[in-house]
Amino acid sequence: MEAPLERLLITGIAGGQGRLVAKRVADEFDVSGVDRVPWEGHPHQIAVHNMDLRKKKFEDIFRREKPTAVVHLAFVRHFRSDPMVRHEINVAGTKRLLECCAEYGVKKLVVLSSSYVYGALPENPYYMDEETSLNVSRHYPDIRDLAEVDTLCTTFLWKYPEIATALLRPVNTLGYYVHSAIGRYLKLRYVPTVMGFNPMMQFIHEEDVAEAIARTLETGVRGVFNLVGPGSVPLKVAIRETGGRPVPLPEPLARSTVERLFRVGLYHLPSAALDFVKYPCTIDGRRFHEATKFRPIFSLEDTFSSVRH
Amino acid sequence: MSDAPKEEPTPKPGKHPARRARTQASARRPPRQSPAIDASAPAIERAFGLGPGGIPSEREPDVLADSLDGLQSLAGGILESLAPRFVRDLNHEIRDRLAKAPLELNNYGYDPWGLNVDVARRTLLVFALFYKYYFRVKAYGLEHLPRGRMLVIANHAGQIAIDACMIGTATVLEADPPRPLRGMGEYWLPTLPFFNVFMARVGGVVGTPKNCIDILHHDEAVIAFPEGVRGMNKPFRDRYKLQEFGNGFMRLALQTNTPIVPVAVVGSEEQAISLGNNAPLAALLSMPAFPMVLNAFPLPTRYHIYFGEPMEFRGNPNDEDEVIVKKVEQVKARIHDMIQRGLRQRRSIFF
Repeated sequence: MEAPLERLLITGIAGGQGRLVAKRVADEFDVSGVDRVPWEGHPHQIAVHNMDLRKKKFEDIFRREKPTAVVHLAFVRHFRSDPMVRHEINVAGTKRLLECCAEYGVKKLVVLSSSYVYGALPENPYYMDEETSLNVSRHYPDIRDLAEVDTLCTTFLWKYPEIATALLRPVNTLGYYVHSAIGRYLKLRYVPTVMGFNPMMQFIHEEDVAEAIARTLETGVRGVFNLVGPGSVPLKVAIRETGGRPVPLPEPLARSTVERLFRVGLYHLPSAALDFVKYPCTIDGRRFHEATKFRPIFSLEDTFSSVRH
Repeated sequence: MSDAPKEEPTPKPGKHPARRARTQASARRPPRQSPAIDASAPAIERAFGLGPGGIPSEREPDVLADSLDGLQSLAGGILESLAPRFVRDLNHEIRDRLAKAPLELNNYGYDPWGLNVDVARRTLLVFALFYKYYFRVKAYGLEHLPRGRMLVIANHAGQIAIDACMIGTATVLEADPPRPLRGMGEYWLPTLPFFNVFMARVGGVVGTPKNCIDILHHDEAVIAFPEGVRGMNKPFRDRYKLQEFGNGFMRLALQTNTPIVPVAVVGSEEQAISLGNNAPLAALLSMPAFPMVLNAFPLPTRYHIYFGEPMEFRGNPNDEDEVIVKKVEQVKARIHDMIQRGLRQRRSIFF
């Protein structure tokens, strides 16, 4: 008789990244998931609970299923909804989840943060390591909740040494299923850029992120890890490779245009996001590679072609 | 860096990396299918509600962009064929020498810090013309350059950083193997539109300790001027008087076990004659200094660049300033001696 599979709970399972992770680990874990939106036609072997992390009943899942591993992907990363709701889901939701993990004996926890928490600043070194401070709120307060979540998880990591908490900070994620802001930006036919700026940017394919999460679960590593893909290119090369055309605008014009379009809902990012196409936010991924031997499978070419229109 | 080992190996001598990058770019056009998606059967994708997608559609040809690219290369070709013979020869020489340089380029022609060989070559061509025909640089002691990582430490003068350009040109044109130098820029340089892109493409980075350590661990060459603006913008009456050295470079050299190559530049001080610094105006324009320079264009002085024997230092990089300063003073003294010797040997400022 084989040993029973480890029970894995994936939050945000209906999202593109959640589905990819579920698919990747389905043979190794007894997977269940939770999401605010339903996953139509999910595989029958995966139990999907249609629920909000902030609801009281969320704890029942932990009570009943007693997951030993958790992958936390339930974040709102877009700006379509109310910023208050976004903040609450991200911060309060994560806090709830962490409390449950501590209470119900979870052994492994993987949280998908983002390299954006370091912020895009002119004085950034090219390869920021995990000790770099989280500077994003300095110029881009709209996503400070992501930095808060990141900090919550690092605190949790040190508070509960018996739980193998891993916090992954991936670079710009591109792919067919994951709807990332950068993916949406690169899919535009005419891509607004800031005139006179063309920072180096790192990219990773969505399936490599799923692979990295799976590798983290398999190895049970603990700590904060930058997650990098196959390398970096200047923004304009990325735009060209994904089939777009850069439209350089003088900075004041770019900022005011983007801000206005964002306010009326015609553009998906606030103007502060322009810093990320102005200054580098590139990171050093050696620590994760050394801990898990992870190497991305997808080349830069593959990664770009996954969002080409 | 993390992505370093997987990137392209050093280009083979004689094969031009830029041309290689371009042929790869054209070979790249038909989008490849992703291996992992190929491996998993479509049925699995469907079972997981992932739909039939994942494989991108063929990219439609962009006639305008392609014809623009064509025009650009045509214009470049015409310009090149119109250029005088010696410019074309110099261009080819730089191309060959850059191909021999230990650079690590990805499929798109960029190195891990954003250097691009094409931009570097064009820039070096301009520098090399000045190097050969304007400043008529004489470089001595390039055989001293160690292999692998090194920290080039030089005196700084001349109001604008032509000395940096000339040292960098010397190590590409005359050193064997050619060694592109990486400059460490001030923190505000990346905020300058256009210049920040140019700086990165020719190998410059922001001068943070992390950048310097990473580049040295990558066995590349870094150039630094520990006098900084103090040296570059000093008035004419203080020429060839070394200003106070910063200590940062020594701590980085100790931390990364990097040999220091002392360099003395003679000729840079006379290229621009400054009567002094207009501090209020500098403050008003929020510039580090505003020198009152007599000549609008650098004068054609002859440059003499002396590369000294590498100096090795050992010790704790986090030692007290006192200990570090002693080591820094050794480097400063060596550069001072080299400058004085150069000045004694110089027969004329211009010839």
